[in-house]
Amino acid sequence: MEDTFIRIRGLKKHYLMGGTLVRALDGLDLDIPRGSFSVVMGPSGSGKSTLLYLVGGLDRPTSGQIEFNDQRLDEMDENQLAAFRRRMVGFIFQSFNLVQSMSAAENVAFPMQFAGLPGKERTLRAQAALESVHLADRALHRPGELSGGQQQRVAIARSLVNDPALILADEPTGNLDSTSGISIMQLLSELHHAGRTILVVTHDPRMVPFATQCIFLLDGVTVSESAYRAAAGLK
Amino acid sequence: MKFLDLIRLVLGNLNRRKGRVALTAIGVVIGTAAVVVLVSLAIGLQRNANEQLYGIGDLTQIQVSPGYSMEEVGGGRGMSGVKVAMAGGGSGGGSSTGTTLLTNDALDTLRALPGVVAVIPRDFFYGGITIKYKRLEGGANIIGVGSSNLGELGLKAGQGSLDLGKGTIIIGSQLANNFYNPYLRPGQEPPSPPDLYDQSLSFIFIKWDNEGNEIRKTVALHVVGVLTETLGESDWSIYMGLDDLKAYNEWVSGTRINYNKSGYNQVVVKVDSVDHVVDVNDQITALGFQAYTPLSFVQGINNFYQILQVIFGGVGAIALLVAAIGIANTMAMAILERTREIGLMKAIGATNRDVLTIFLGEAAGIGFVGGLGGVLIGWLSGQALNVVAIVYLAGQVSTQGGAPPSVAVYTPAWLPIFALLFSTLIGLISGLYPALRAATMVPVIALKYE
Repeated sequence: MEDTFIRIRGLKKHYLMGGTLVRALDGLDLDIPRGSFSVVMGPSGSGKSTLLYLVGGLDRPTSGQIEFNDQRLDEMDENQLAAFRRRMVGFIFQSFNLVQSMSAAENVAFPMQFAGLPGKERTLRAQAALESVHLADRALHRPGELSGGQQQRVAIARSLVNDPALILADEPTGNLDSTSGISIMQLLSELHHAGRTILVVTHDPRMVPFATQCIFLLDGVTVSESAYRAAAGLK
Repeated sequence: MKFLDLIRLVLGNLNRRKGRVALTAIGVVIGTAAVVVLVSLAIGLQRNANEQLYGIGDLTQIQVSPGYSMEEVGGGRGMSGVKVAMAGGGSGGGSSTGTTLLTNDALDTLRALPGVVAVIPRDFFYGGITIKYKRLEGGANIIGVGSSNLGELGLKAGQGSLDLGKGTIIIGSQLANNFYNPYLRPGQEPPSPPDLYDQSLSFIFIKWDNEGNEIRKTVALHVVGVLTETLGESDWSIYMGLDDLKAYNEWVSGTRINYNKSGYNQVVVKVDSVDHVVDVNDQITALGFQAYTPLSFVQGINNFYQILQVIFGGVGAIALLVAAIGIANTMAMAILERTREIGLMKAIGATNRDVLTIFLGEAAGIGFVGGLGGVLIGWLSGQALNVVAIVYLAGQVSTQGGAPPSVAVYTPAWLPIFALLFSTLIGLISGLYPALRAATMVPVIALKYE
């Protein structure tokens, strides 16, 4: 039996947008095994990103449970959620979200400031993380001096520095050309093989071969692949 | 988050938008400079006023005169002054006035008051007088003192001693300037003031009999000391023993003076510290005597200047308040521009408190940088003002007389420190609302902000 890392039950996220009630997630049940590479696919508005942010503790559900390593995320207060994000999760965003005034090394070391690590250790760990994404020679470059693929690698290095058990990626290849996209997928796959649990939200079907689990979302609930393909007009 | 990391991050963030920070900080610079200059000016004015006021006399002294009142006073506190019943003046009806005399017993009561160091009776010469030194003549205020040492009155010797003996006198620093040559012909150069120390002066005491005939008595008195300048009464006075003066006054009046019966006309009460003067003054008044201390006047003046400091500081603070709005605006803009960065900080583990501290630090940083500039500019402006004002005031003094001013604007050490802390605090308070908004942002909304 697989070891369940994240257990989601009856997860709902409803919010008002322009006076209309949006049911981004509407009673989702999902198990994510430890050490899996899960890819969440679905059309725009299906609730993929909402699911990712709820699992990452960046948002709160309307109702339902998210159990992470037997800890209830939906019951944590703000400080506990911040500590959870700091220790357990590494985020990768579509638009990289790097601080433009900081060098690559400073961007990578940024999360460790909030973890209160000493400066020397921060430098060493940031350098090691940049080496792991093959960007050690670009440590002093600012984001504006790096290509999109390189910026996403810096973001991946940043997600790794606090040694999180879970990597959450929101459309990590969405802003990249196909070559850079493939290299980022390979990098995520390497992290998976190194023992981390990866949850990726994407439209990119090239991500599927790397996945150990594919989750298809439609209108805030999980559906079968065939239902998803029919809805998406795919063969 | 460690404090040093916070400082580095705050400085880095401020450095990122130098232009806007500089423009915002200019407001704080102006406000802080205004506070420093205006408060320094008020303090400088107070110091100048105090320097002039200290010429009034020793602030630890209280001048006590006999008390005149309509009712019994002080009787319950071992009052030993003698009460003399006087006629009611026709309109008093059943009331009677009383005089509380400064007899020797009363002096003992004053000596027993806590904080009193010395009680020295004084009297003045009531007749006419001419003082001669060689061909020069002069006049003076003659004071008899019931003490063998003028040091007890807080006076200091410029030449000779302060010890008064029979037949000796001590003169004020400016007395020599009172001497003139009565035989000077028109056009002749007036003589320079004589050095009277260790010289004998001829005192011609004058009185008139009932027929209006002038009667003179000449006495030679030896100058054993010259006092230092006090800018007060003593500069133009001659001090002698009270017994000597009493003898001359008895000659003028033709009657014996018994201070124990008539009381002294004036007594100087010397108090151990300025802090106790008002308290002792009140106690003396409660005993039924009239008491006067220049301290209450000086305190009144000081209160005025303290109010002036608050008003001047308030004017500067208004300028700082305007700057505070600028800081709040800059921070609000910064938070709008950096909303995604706030979301990112939260995503990578920053707590609400971390975000709050960072943005408060930036706002306080703008206040601190502006305060630093303001203190520097304020201090330099004060110095420039000092140079201009002293030159101007010195010119006025040379034409109108008086003590020259030492400084016009005085910046005490606490003021720049206070101004710096205050401007930082203003920055901190201005940044509070924007920082709170940043800290309480929902991470996912901040991350999606366009």
